Amino acid sequence: MPEIYIDNKRYEFEKPGKVLQFMLDKGLDLPFFCYHPSLSIPANCRQCVVKAGMPVFDREKKVFEIDDEGNRVIRYFPKLMTACSLDLADGLVIHTHETDELVKEAQADNLEFILINHPLDCPICDQAGECPLQILTYKYGPEGSRFEHKKVHKPKAIQLGPRVILDAERCINCTRCVRFTDEISKTYQLTIISRGDKNYPTTANGREFDDPYSLNTVDICPVGALTSADFRFKARVWEMNQTPSVDITNGKGCSTWLWTRDNLVLRVTPRFNEAVNDHWMPDAGRLAYRKFNENRISRPHLRPDDAGQVRTSWNNAQLTLQEELEKVTADEILVIGSPHASVEDNYALRTYFGNLGVSRFRFLPHTEPGTGDGFLISDDQAPNTNGVKGLGFDEIDEKSLIKLIETGKPKIIAILDDDLLGRTALTEEHLASSWMIVWGTNHNDTTRAANLVVPVTTAAEHAASYVNVDGRIQRTVPAKETLYTNRRLNLEMSMGRLDHYGTKFDNWVSDANRIDCIPAWEFFTRMKSDSDTIAWESSRQIMEDIAGTFPVFREVSYDRMDEENGIQLKLEQDSEVKPA
Amino acid sequence: MSNDWKSYKPMLVPAIRDLHDISVYEKNNGYQALKKILKDRKTWTPANVVNEVKTANIRGRGGAGFNAGLKWSFMPEPDGKPRYLACNGDESEPGTFKDRKLFEFNPHLFIEGAIIAAYAMQIDVIYVYIRGEYRPFIQKLQKAIDQACEKGYLGKKILGSDFSVEMYTHMGAGAYICGEESSLMESLEGKRGYPRVKPPFPAQRGLWGRPTTINNIETLANVPLVMQHGAEWYLDIGPKTHPGPVLYGISGHVNRPGVYEYPAGMDIMTLINEVAGGVRGGKKLKALIPGGSSTPPLRADMLDGVTMDSESLREAGSMMGTAGMVVLDEDTDMVDLIWRISYFYDHESCGQCTPCREGTGWLEKTLRKIKDGNGEMRDLDLLLAICHRMEGRTICALADAAAWPVRYSIDRFREEFEKKCKKTVYAVA
Repeated sequence: MPEIYIDNKRYEFEKPGKVLQFMLDKGLDLPFFCYHPSLSIPANCRQCVVKAGMPVFDREKKVFEIDDEGNRVIRYFPKLMTACSLDLADGLVIHTHETDELVKEAQADNLEFILINHPLDCPICDQAGECPLQILTYKYGPEGSRFEHKKVHKPKAIQLGPRVILDAERCINCTRCVRFTDEISKTYQLTIISRGDKNYPTTANGREFDDPYSLNTVDICPVGALTSADFRFKARVWEMNQTPSVDITNGKGCSTWLWTRDNLVLRVTPRFNEAVNDHWMPDAGRLAYRKFNENRISRPHLRPDDAGQVRTSWNNAQLTLQEELEKVTADEILVIGSPHASVEDNYALRTYFGNLGVSRFRFLPHTEPGTGDGFLISDDQAPNTNGVKGLGFDEIDEKSLIKLIETGKPKIIAILDDDLLGRTALTEEHLASSWMIVWGTNHNDTTRAANLVVPVTTAAEHAASYVNVDGRIQRTVPAKETLYTNRRLNLEMSMGRLDHYGTKFDNWVSDANRIDCIPAWEFFTRMKSDSDTIAWESSRQIMEDIAGTFPVFREVSYDRMDEENGIQLKLEQDSEVKPA
Repeated sequence: MSNDWKSYKPMLVPAIRDLHDISVYEKNNGYQALKKILKDRKTWTPANVVNEVKTANIRGRGGAGFNAGLKWSFMPEPDGKPRYLACNGDESEPGTFKDRKLFEFNPHLFIEGAIIAAYAMQIDVIYVYIRGEYRPFIQKLQKAIDQACEKGYLGKKILGSDFSVEMYTHMGAGAYICGEESSLMESLEGKRGYPRVKPPFPAQRGLWGRPTTINNIETLANVPLVMQHGAEWYLDIGPKTHPGPVLYGISGHVNRPGVYEYPAGMDIMTLINEVAGGVRGGKKLKALIPGGSSTPPLRADMLDGVTMDSESLREAGSMMGTAGMVVLDEDTDMVDLIWRISYFYDHESCGQCTPCREGTGWLEKTLRKIKDGNGEMRDLDLLLAICHRMEGRTICALADAAAWPVRYSIDRFREEFEKKCKKTVYAVA
């Protein structure tokens, strides 16, 4: 197998590639700014320079030349090479800063160069704390600067587009953002203008940077030159907790990180997932963090009469549902599952009403044809359409649903987290003769029309799975505490610096932002039931149940989802067997 | 050499009236080399033409001095898809103004050379990238191209053969960096003029990812001479290691600045004193920048017996470059001069690579500080340190071009720099 020597250690490689990526894969350290594994290689930051050489090959004897001490004779390239653009080659010898003084010096020199025109305003810069320039300067940079002149001044706080703000002085001209719009989002909206140290990225004259993926440039910007107009100045990176999750605003289900502080989700960033979204996600999914924080339903809401909803206790909510159920027979109940809710919640809904003898399980897919772009935005607006389908809910279109309600006149309509009144032609008049219970996360037209509203957790508060448009099942991890969960007790929840070391008085954690809600499945476990099929203690347990019942989910488990970053389901199996 | 040069008859820009007109050019042996090749294609297969040019050892006139025929031989075998010849007429280096003479007075010689080059490398599209400020010369060249098309030297089925080639002109937009071959290609493709990372080299992946050769205008103008008279004849002009006629662009403090055509390897003092009429005002010579602003300046006392060819100049401690000689008399303020050169490179750095983007600005600012009388002795060491960390650490050679004049002038004229610096004494610790 071909081999390569890095800092006198031997490594083998199988596939051709570049030295820098190979080193990163091996966990070796090398500083770099402009390189990004998903973009082309411009080799312009010159930070990843290494000393490289090839062994001298004796063509006649067909062996490598050997010196007196028995080592291979190495012929080094006259200049330092950038590791990002250097191809792996059999016998290649690499010396990094670990073993070569010149490389070490060159890396420090380069950082000194980068910093001479950089404003060094880290204390007021949003990137501080997650800034490659800051990190690499501490690690590899010079002790000080010998630059004694006025720095070059460039435009600051330029609103490039609706979501992205540029500070040109911080820019180090790595061109990652330009390459992103050229190669990934293909909108070609950004370019570098001017020349030399006056360079900075911007849009064409009079154009807006309204790329639907524009915020990815903020993520890949190695400095604070591009910042999110929305997140800017909101929080320090080191004060936030970072929790893996899934984008629930779109059928594609991009893997995400939820960044929380004081039980508020402050931003959403993409999480690398080769099978779904690579390093990227659409802007729409990032702005969905508001859904987790604002307009939330806290405590059950009951409408005793036509006057309006009042808050009530959990006990009362359960008893009210119990009483209503006792008034009707099973075939007078219509259960509507939700492509917006998780697999577990839909399953719990189906199991609970299935035990009561209900057979009408429907769901209305939430697609908006023509909105998809074939990349990370799908026509499907809901994160779990395939999941509900896989659980045996019957797909129904808008007209049929309205007809079903108008003609069938179900006595009880149970809707799991789905704003049917808001997104369809369904109106309150259609529902006038029915008693409606809604499990909801946010106040909307449907919850306002409901007789009983049960507040349930969002994807930011529960561990639950979602099946995306391509049939990949992925799960979320609780990022926000509800009134009934605790970061220190739930080992799955991430603990930030402040959670570990802060006291009640100096950290950001207060009870103010904890919502009084529970996962939908938990509500069913609280209901009085004859069956013991509903005695779940966690969503993990529910998934075990599902895996045992539905062939589509056969090999799904939380552990496997965590390990493999989601599991690809074989959806065609879903017609095989339906559980009784 | 001695006095041979006095009897030398210019061949690149001969003194013939209206030579830019195709009928005059044809009367003076014009397009004979092309006809000779196309008439006897058995002898002059493309490979043989490449070999002939390689033997003639035409050193690239754009500054690097690389054997043009050797460069041509790097082109891969044709595969039926497009391949390109890009002609570099972007000359924008301070002190260089030779290609304009060709555009102005003898465009057909260059066109003929480019056609022969295209034939040798089996290329069917030629782009001529010209400095945008040369608007009148572009018009002249365009007129010459149109004439050549009319006469059947360009276009489909040239002179009745099955060889076809198109030639297009392209105006630069004022960026020095677009004279660098790979950013010239980027610019031709309609992109921002950023030099490309090598490898892949242009012969492997050039314009639009296809094999491309980039030659200087003057280099190509030498090709018809070689093909007409043979490589042996050509090698006899000037030194064998660097043969052929050269357009010397002499500027600065001389009595008769201008472009002069003489064989390569001319004695520098002869060029200054006899060709260009000596230093202006009878002053003493102080220094010479031999080949455009990026070549290291030489002190007058380093010029004894040095001739204008790559080898001799390398020994003397400089480079041939584009043979754009800048003559500097004893009144020249070297600090001011080097600052001005630095200012140019600061302005023209494309800003792609960190060391060049930041280094050129730093050099300029530091030199300005010294020039303005605010410099300190440590600034000289700092300048040398900046040069050291710029050289060889970037994608293209602009960083080297910016660093060399500074490094070598501090080296060779240090006392002048020191004179401008404040004598500061720092307390120990």
